[in-house]
Amino acid sequence: MLEALLRPRRVVHAHCDLPCGIYDPSQARVEAESVMAIQTRYQGAEKFKTAGESVEDYRIRALAIKEARADLVKEHLWVLWTDYFKPEHLEKYPKLHDTFWKAAKLCSKNKQSVDAKAAADLQAAVKEIADIFWATKK
Amino acid sequence: MEPTFRDGDWLLVRRLRRPPRPGEVVVAADPREPERLLVKRVRSVAPDGVTIQGDHADPAESTDSRQFGPIPRSAIVGRPVLRYAPLDRIGRVR
Repeated sequence: MLEALLRPRRVVHAHCDLPCGIYDPSQARVEAESVMAIQTRYQGAEKFKTAGESVEDYRIRALAIKEARADLVKEHLWVLWTDYFKPEHLEKYPKLHDTFWKAAKLCSKNKQSVDAKAAADLQAAVKEIADIFWATKK
Repeated sequence: MEPTFRDGDWLLVRRLRRPPRPGEVVVAADPREPERLLVKRVRSVAPDGVTIQGDHADPAESTDSRQFGPIPRSAIVGRPVLRYAPLDRIGRVR
């Protein structure tokens, strides 16, 4: 009761714009792990599929999920690249742009192929970015 | 506006009828979205407008006149005078 009475009627903003300032490369890492898992499951479809579905159907499902997850990796990387990282980071880590570019290319490669090697390469690229990210936080 | 304000602070805001003074905290309409209110510190008052800026040491943490330039004096609606919650942070706004 009293709280409702005292509660301010208007919200005033003091922070930065809508960008919330919360960045974490774990989002990209988790999605890259999904891509890896799906690549493995596509290859072992006979083993992983449920009893009620055909190998072909299972694989189609896997491809759809792989496509979506690879897109999510791209999206999370994009946010880090364009919103978190600043020119001063680039000065300190001159390979930054190249690393992001390669990682984004690897997202596409994972869409185009059913190769677990592509997924492993993507995970390594995401880790490289995460290492730079955490180094800037020190 | 950290360290002056934290997310969730409750403020008593008085209407400001006199011209703003440099150094004081004001509530002003966001020039990019007038329905949205900002709370910032006045840095300078000039004929072409009032420059407002957040207190945070890292400019990336505040969107203010450094991005959108000076704001018209008419955009300033009030001045927070008291922080009345949370209880351990009660005090005058300076």
